[in-house]
Order: sequence, then C-alpha cells, then structure tokens
Amino acid sequence: MENTILEKKQKAEENQDIEINSEELEVKKKYSIKTTDKQTLEKWFRLMVLGRALDDRAPNYLKQAIGWSYHAPYAGHDGIQLAIGQVFNKDTDHLFPYYRDMMTALSAGLTPEEIIFNGISKDTDVAGGGRHMSNHFAKPEWNIHNVSSATGNHTLHAVGVGRAMKVYNHKGVSISSQGESSVSEGYVYEAINGASNEQLPVIFVFQDNGYGISVPKKDQTANRKVADNFTGLKNLRIIHTNGKDLFDSMNAMEEAKQWVIENQKPCIVHANCIRIHSHSNSDRHELYRDDYELNYVKEYDPLGKFRRLLTRYKRFTEEELQAIEAETKEIVKKAHRTALAAPDPDPESIYDFVLPPAYEPKKFKDGLPDGSGEKLKLVEALNQTLKEEFRKNPDTFIWGQDMANKDKGGIFNVSKGMQQEFGETRVFNGPIAEDYILGTANGMSRFDDKIRIVVEGAEFADYFWPAMEQFVELTHDYWRSKGQFSPNVVVRLASGGYIGGGLYHSQNIEGALTTFPGIRVVYPSYADDAAGLLRTAMRSQGPTIFMEPKSLYNSPIAAANVPEDFEVPFGKLRVRKEGKDLTIITYGNTTHMCINVAEKLEKEFPDYSIEVIDLRSLIPLDEEGIIESLKKTGKALIVHEDKVFGGFGGEVASMINEKAFEYLDGPVRRVGSTFTPVGFNRILEKAILPDEERIYKAAAELLQY
Amino acid sequence: MNKTAVIYSFNTKNSAKVAEKVKDAFGKSEIDTLNAEELTEDQFLAYDNLILSVPTWFDGELPNYWDEFVPAIEDMNLKGKTFAIFGLGDQKGYPENFGDAIGIMTNILEKQGAKVIGETSTKGYTYENSRGVRNNKFVGLMLDAENQDDLTDERVKTWVKEIKKKFG
Repeated sequence: MENTILEKKQKAEENQDIEINSEELEVKKKYSIKTTDKQTLEKWFRLMVLGRALDDRAPNYLKQAIGWSYHAPYAGHDGIQLAIGQVFNKDTDHLFPYYRDMMTALSAGLTPEEIIFNGISKDTDVAGGGRHMSNHFAKPEWNIHNVSSATGNHTLHAVGVGRAMKVYNHKGVSISSQGESSVSEGYVYEAINGASNEQLPVIFVFQDNGYGISVPKKDQTANRKVADNFTGLKNLRIIHTNGKDLFDSMNAMEEAKQWVIENQKPCIVHANCIRIHSHSNSDRHELYRDDYELNYVKEYDPLGKFRRLLTRYKRFTEEELQAIEAETKEIVKKAHRTALAAPDPDPESIYDFVLPPAYEPKKFKDGLPDGSGEKLKLVEALNQTLKEEFRKNPDTFIWGQDMANKDKGGIFNVSKGMQQEFGETRVFNGPIAEDYILGTANGMSRFDDKIRIVVEGAEFADYFWPAMEQFVELTHDYWRSKGQFSPNVVVRLASGGYIGGGLYHSQNIEGALTTFPGIRVVYPSYADDAAGLLRTAMRSQGPTIFMEPKSLYNSPIAAANVPEDFEVPFGKLRVRKEGKDLTIITYGNTTHMCINVAEKLEKEFPDYSIEVIDLRSLIPLDEEGIIESLKKTGKALIVHEDKVFGGFGGEVASMINEKAFEYLDGPVRRVGSTFTPVGFNRILEKAILPDEERIYKAAAELLQY
Repeated sequence: MNKTAVIYSFNTKNSAKVAEKVKDAFGKSEIDTLNAEELTEDQFLAYDNLILSVPTWFDGELPNYWDEFVPAIEDMNLKGKTFAIFGLGDQKGYPENFGDAIGIMTNILEKQGAKVIGETSTKGYTYENSRGVRNNKFVGLMLDAENQDDLTDERVKTWVKEIKKKFG
C-alpha cells in the first residue's frame, strides 16, 4: 500500500514541469583570466576603459552647460554590464537596458559617438533624437529598446517579447536589466510571475549596488538578495553572480542565455555590484555613506581588478595596457568633437511622431454605411469583426481577463467562439493583473511590426487604473523613439453605466485618457461604427483605446446593418440626424438619448430642427466637422455620460470657443454626470447619470436662447 | 612541525588584529607572516601548514586579494598541504551570508588536493545561512568583531590549540 502511494507520488512528480532547484545547477566556468584568449581579453579591456572614460567624462558636459543633466554613473557595475552586452546578439535577441546601463550599451555595440549623442540629446541620438532623457541608451534598430524612466517597467515588455519568441518559435532571448531597488515595483513581480507561468525565454538581470538613490536595500525587502524573493516560483532559475567580476559575470550570463534557450524558461541573474559614485549628478552620496564605505568601494573597482589580473597573470604587459589606455583617450576626444558638431533637434519637429500612421479605409472612406449587411447587435458586430480580422491576419492576438474558457468568451461574450476557432496561442486568458495584460501587449508588439494585438484592458473600464503606467508607456513610445517603434495595440474597455453597476462597474474614464498625447480614443454608439472603428484600429499602426458602451452591447437601439468589411476612419464624426437650429455633440450611450430628445423637441416645436453629431473618435477629434455644423446651427450642446467637470466635453467647448466663436448665437452648454462617483442604488444612479430629461431641458433652453 | 605561516591582508584592521592574536597563541617564533595583498605562488607553496585569514565581503564574496589569487591556486597541486582558515563576518548585518568566504576558500583548496582542518561548532552564533558550514560545523573559525568581539580571544586560543595539534 505504502509503495503504491509512493509510486503514485513519484509518477505525479515526473509528470509535472521540472521544478528548478538553483542550488543544484552549477554555472559552467567557461571564462577565466588564464583560459580566455588574448584577443577577447583585449576587446573587453578596451571596452571597459572606453566605458569608464565616457562615464567619468559625462559630468563635465553638465558643468559646461552642454547637456547630460541626468547621468547615473555605472562604475562598479562594469562586470555584469559588459557581460550583458557581450551575450546580446542583435540578430536574435532583444535587450531592455536601464538608465545606468552605459557599459551594457557600449558592450552591445553602440559607438562612443552614439553614447555622447544620447548624453547631450542630439538629433543624431539613435535612441530617439534627444527626445528621451539623457543616459537612456538605446538603439531600437538593433532591438536595444528605448525604455521608460519608470524603472523596471520594461520587465513587462521583455516578457511580451519572450511570449512572441515562443509563439513564433524564434531562437533567441529577451534580456531585461534593472537595479535591485526597482524590483520592489509590483509590475516586476507581475512580469516574473508571468514569465514563470508562461515559461518564456527571458533573462531578468538585477544589478544590486545596495542602494535605490540613497535608500539602502534593507528598506526595500527582507532578503538581502532580492532574487531570493522569487525562489518559490516554478520554472524559474536563479543565478547569483559577482557583478564586479568580469569572468563571473560572463560565465553567469552565458549560462543563463544557454539555459533559457534550451529550456524555454526564464532566469534571474542577480549580480552583486557596488556603486562607486553618487546615484546621479543630483545626488550627494557623502551625505549618507561614510568615508570607510566610500573608500572600500573604490578599492573594489571592477576595472582595477581586471587590470591587475591581466598583468598578474602575464596576459598583458603594463606597456600594452598603457598603450590601449592612450588610444582610448584619443577615441573619446574624437567622439566628443563629433558629438559637439552634431545637429540639435529641430523645435519644429515636436509634432512629428505623435501618432503612428492610421489605416486609411479603402471601401468606406467617410465611414458611412451603404445600407447593406445584416442587422447586428453591438456585441455581435464586435465579435464578428474580431473574427474576420483574425481570419484575415494570422499575426493577430487577443487576451484579457475572463477571455476564454470553453463556451464562455469574455465577460460580455465579445470574444465568444474565438478560442475554439483560432486556438489558445492567439486567444487566451491573462492573469488578474491589468498592468501585465497591457505591458506584455506593448512588449509583444516589439517583436515584429506585423503583429496586431487586441487586449481587454480590464474586466470593466473602472479597473483599468492599475495599467495606467503601461498606458503612459503606450502613449510615449512612438514619440520617444522618434518613430522607430509603435506599439500596435487596441485596448478594449467596457465602459459606462445605466446597468446599476455602482462605483466599479459604471465609470467613464475617457476624460482622463484623452489628456495623453500619443493615443487614439474612440467611443462608438452603434454596431456599425463599432465594427468599422475596430477594423480600422486593428489595421492601424499605434495604440487605440476602444471604449465600448456596455449597456448597449445587446440593446436593440444600438443594432445596425453592418456592411461587409465596413471601415470607419479615425477623426471623422457622423451626423446621426441633420438639423439647422442646434447642434448636439455627443458619443456613446448618450447619442441615443440625444436623438430621442431631438425628435421630441422637433415634434413639440415644428419650426426647429436639431442636428445630432456622433463624434465616434475623441482623439483625433473631427474639429472641422463640428465647426461646419455650427456654421449652420449657431448653437452647441455637448452631451456625454461622463462628468461635466473634467469631462471630454470641456475640450470640445474650448475648441468651439477658440475656433468657432463667431458662428455662435448662444453659449456652449454641457450636459453630463454630476461630479460624484456613480452610486449603486438605481435611485442614486438615476440622480447622477444624464438622462433625456436633463438633455431636453438644456436643449430647449438653448433653442430658445 | 612543518613550516607554518599565517596569511592575511596587511591593509585590514580587524583581520590583522585577529591574525596577531593567532600568532600569539601559536607562538610567534613558530610561525611566519605573509601579506595576502602581495602574495606570490612561490611564497604560498613554500609552506606545508597555512593559516589563512579569509573575511567575507559584500553579500558572500571573497575579498579581492584572495579572489585575485584564486586563478593561481587553481593551477597548484596542494596534496600534502594542510590549511586552517579563520574569517570575520557580521551575523547581524549579513545573516544570510555569515562566513560564506571560509566555505568558498575551503572548496577551492580541497579541489586542489589540500587538507583543510580546524572546523568549529556553530553553537553560540545566530545567522540564517552560511556557505562556511558543512555537516553542521563551520569549516574553520568564525569571528564576529561587530557583535561578539568579547568572545574573540577565547575562540582564537581554543582554535589555535586544536589546529596546532593537527598540523603535521
């Protein structure tokens, strides 16, 4: 009996995925001072001397008021950074360096000129023409990504790339690098958990110098080595290394890369480093580090150690090393002269690369249907369009919370049947981690420009806030990289109220989301526009927020005939009802209310006719279309479900005020929610959300003004 | 007794202080002193009995002067040589890596055929992890100048007495 139980247990264990016990796996000692060939040693020494010369020189640019106002010196991280760059292969791998990774970037192949271009923010900066902060070294052309200053959030992007590598059977590795303190960020835990769960080829390097600016690592987490916080995760290997030692670091990184590719599982490399200087040029470390510490970190300088080893073991003579050092000085001087002569960014260029090119509709250029097609509910139109685009484009993916499980397809059935048709690789559930859902979408789209991703940003738009930091990245990426990378992601969000959903199932968040340049925001009210806008968004480059008025998913009032391959261009409003005495500008749920109100008023006051404009796109906004209507009517009423105060209507009203004032015969009025959350009790909800009664009152007053 | 030497970094404060105590306990005339910072292979190989001072640095590393000597050790045949290692560590500040360095050095020496003696009890120490522990004993003598300095003299005396007996 006992044997049977034991056998069963053993069998069960065999069938499980391997559990990695880091202690049992040895790092192969491929490199050492005695066995590494001289040519390689020379290459490394040249890189280390060059890097340090640039690192030491960087503060001078600020002192001379040339630039490089943010410089985080890497001295003390030399071993691990050189190793990261050396194992990186631009033809197969992706690299996400952080703001202290100057040596990493040089070792990966950036030239000293390219380092200084970035440092002093020249137009020739390959990271993005001086648009992003100095010391953020990148070369998107080589898959050395331009990352955020919100340190560590690129771990999610690295995981997204890892997912793409797995999906496309690509033999390579995605490498993320960060300081140990930034591991405290919740999104880093989400990233590593996801890589472990999805079993992705990602290396997470933690460069541990003991400080987050002035904060000692004991204030971050209980384990001195933060990598040990992850020992309970399955499918994950952890390698500890001495980041100050070049050979240890090379052996660790080579081992990590080989293991990750062979096993298709993630690995953390925890590198113990020292920070020889202050955090950056705005920090004074003598305020919090004593002389003893400041002295010993200098004694443990990795470059000094490497140099001593080279002569001690007679791999190089002192004269040979001095000659290399002298040559390096000349290289740096030359790079300096080239960088100073390079052009600065053109102030006229600030509007370039805000939004990537949108898909231009071929059949329905104005986004107006021709009456053909089957009548579909809004939810059916979304589902059908998703399926049609997925059939057409094999490089499409969709994920989110509650996306697919057997017969269930999304919390509102928008993705129903998709997993059955397109499989679990293209249609799958994400964890309850909105930031992970969005961040890995951004990351996955970095693997190949042909990829198009749709995510359900959250179960309800109200839950989108944890993803806001990734939303910010989504809006920055194209501009920050000067058009070198656009995250091709459509974020679907079930929005709004009128369902008795309360504070976390009824909010409208477009008022906040439309304040960010670099993203399109659309909000259809009818099934046909929903289909057309979704198709356009999925065929476009760049990110789109796709707001879905969830109370209309199954409502007959939002149903419409949807022509085959219907398309709606961005920034093109739709006149839902023509009129000459008042323009009601609206979108989403309130479009239907406005039409009813207009019809009611026209019946009561037959001399008046009212135009109802459905914006469809909030960003870009069809300003021209609005102004054209106002030229005719002279009166504007803006109606939306969101709060009046801080709602998107404020921007529309301001635009009208600035650009169409002379056509107005009355004040611009607005109707929307009260400046309160949306209450759960139906009585409260009714008191808060706009309704036909409120719209009628405002419209009638304005008509008679 | 064969020729014996104690090797430590002359640049250190605490380790140097302990090395002096070791010499006193051993009998100054019976033991030579070498500076680990300037150590040569020939010097190292000239002795059959060696006492090494190997403090733990950072989160469980050898100090540079030993780390940079390791490639030389890795080419040596240390059969017939006997080593005893003492090391300083900080149980409270670095409980996860208390005495790691004595364990790291022991492994390196044993791999080259050396005999490492001088294991001590872990009783009286409070720490979480140590690579310096094997079979529930420290592979050498652990000292903690930060938290248990008052115990150092006694620990050194007892240990030196033991290793002296075992040195050939």
